[in-house]
Amino acid sequence: MKRSQFLTSLLAVPAALLFPSCNKTDSAGRKLTIAFMPKGKGNSYFIACEKGAREAVSELGVELLFDGPTNTDPAKQNEIVENWTTLGVDVIAVACENTEGISGALKKAQQKGIKVVTYDSDTTQDARSFFVNQATPQGIGEALMDEAARLCAEEGEFAIITATLTAANMNEWRKFIGSRLASKYPKMKLVDTKPCDDQKDKAQSEATNLISANPNLKCIMAICSPAVPGAAEAIKQAGKAGAVKLLGLGLPSENRAYLKEGVTQSVILWRVADLGYLAIQVANAVANKSLNPGDKTFKAGRLGELEIEGSSIILGKPFLFTKDNVDQFDF
Amino acid sequence: MKTYFRELSVLVTLAILLVILAIFAPHFYEWQPLLSRLTAQVPALILALGVGIVMISRQIDISVGSQFGLCAVLAGTVAANGYGLPTALAAAVSAGTLMGALNGWLIAGMKLPSIVVTLATMVTWAEVLRLFQQGKFVNLPAGIQWFGLSQLGGQIFLISFGCVTVVVGAHFLKTRSLGRYIYAVGSDAEAARLSGIHSGWVTFSVFILMGVLAGLAAVLNLVQSPQVDPKCGVGLELRAIAAGVVGGIAVNGGRGTLWGVFVGLLLLSTINPALTFLHVEAYWEKAIQGLVILLAVVADGFRVRHHSR
Repeated sequence: MKRSQFLTSLLAVPAALLFPSCNKTDSAGRKLTIAFMPKGKGNSYFIACEKGAREAVSELGVELLFDGPTNTDPAKQNEIVENWTTLGVDVIAVACENTEGISGALKKAQQKGIKVVTYDSDTTQDARSFFVNQATPQGIGEALMDEAARLCAEEGEFAIITATLTAANMNEWRKFIGSRLASKYPKMKLVDTKPCDDQKDKAQSEATNLISANPNLKCIMAICSPAVPGAAEAIKQAGKAGAVKLLGLGLPSENRAYLKEGVTQSVILWRVADLGYLAIQVANAVANKSLNPGDKTFKAGRLGELEIEGSSIILGKPFLFTKDNVDQFDF
Repeated sequence: MKTYFRELSVLVTLAILLVILAIFAPHFYEWQPLLSRLTAQVPALILALGVGIVMISRQIDISVGSQFGLCAVLAGTVAANGYGLPTALAAAVSAGTLMGALNGWLIAGMKLPSIVVTLATMVTWAEVLRLFQQGKFVNLPAGIQWFGLSQLGGQIFLISFGCVTVVVGAHFLKTRSLGRYIYAVGSDAEAARLSGIHSGWVTFSVFILMGVLAGLAAVLNLVQSPQVDPKCGVGLELRAIAAGVVGGIAVNGGRGTLWGVFVGLLLLSTINPALTFLHVEAYWEKAIQGLVILLAVVADGFRVRHHSR
């Protein structure tokens, strides 16, 4: 390792002489290296993220190292962080599978002078400088509840399909769905909440049962991505398209057909590519010290000026995909 | 009567559950959702029949969920590229046969324990699928869903197909020589060998059959919606094994019928909707299913002790 660092610095000297004023490089004249990790490489959500990240990388002219577990695997994430620490990258941007589990490895990286930012899901606060937050749980929960209320004209029964009853982020959203329901929509009633084990076919069975067991059901809210097309197929097979409204948190590409057929009314999501884009922008700014703790706003390239809450940089309000705009997105 | 005691007791339990539903939740019997529910169970049934046969031969196959997922995505990809359903079916069944042959060769040929071999292949196929598919759904072209029939036509065909498979399979096990060999090898492989049965070939055939059924089941699942979820096989192996255990297939082989698998799956797959219809909180679902399986295993334990006395 020592030797390769030595070799890099040897190479860097002539580079520094050649490009003394290039602001894309650090003092040694070396390009900034950002290491970027998804929760799992085999996940269309994070593939969209990577797309945005690569856009920002070419815009900023920095070096990108992209790696992650094939499957979601917290231990593998730690291993990759440790490799990057040994390699001596400049910044690590990571979507953490396990909040506590990865913090040790990230702290070690920080001790070696590597900057750490997180995106999508956070680690503990002391293990990173900034968290790029796609939307607050409150923002998501309220957006879902408001949209459900709009579809039902603020009246009637609805049911939720979630991934598992133990998924921390979804439970957080459900909490805010519940409080929004209690405070703003007294004529609406949550009749049931079912887990679908993050599988489309199970979501379809659950939705079939919910529709038939609750004849007054007006709306299904599917808050994990495979549940949205699963519930759509159930509604379609039951011949209840339009009579039972469907909204959910999912990927436009998996719901395009059902949106156009009028089975699914709305799909809510942040623009995933923008999340990757913003994560790289933040990583870059932290590394070249143009973004520092205590800043209130951050100018993020094409995304413009974004708000900073504490040490969280917020991407913005969730986005609503409908049959009219779904064709503009390809993830 | 006595030989079918277990199947009958499961059937009685199911009947009690159905009567409770008829009284407290008559909506359960609306025919359209009922048809959708039954149709959705056909792929699991085909898979469970295969696992049942594997268990009767005193082996286990926990890779069937991964095989199922891989075959489903493969068939979906073939169909999505415009090759039509027959080609997709051929691809899925061939892939299943190959995966079954690998399991069979390692278990029957190399004499490795099936739990370890199929654990390894379970993980391997799941990872291959993830690498290959990256978690993306496969969008199928029009005309694949319900074999191009109407929804009702497709559902009736699938349900009939499932029932016919149970009848044919049960008949095959009871009357054909390979069927009887499977029971013989499952009861006592050594005795079977001494009576001239080549137990290695029997085991190998059983795993091939399992692979074929996994491929077939994957296609029967694929025709039920316009998209293939690459995670569609996750956990299916446990449902298949549970159906067998509840239906009276002995975990240590040699005993059980496909009728048992059939009623076992019907019971397990009625519990979940029943909870929704009776407005029981979803937290109970897995606990109750676990309890039913536990009861079945305990019942087996009593029977074994009773016999050995």
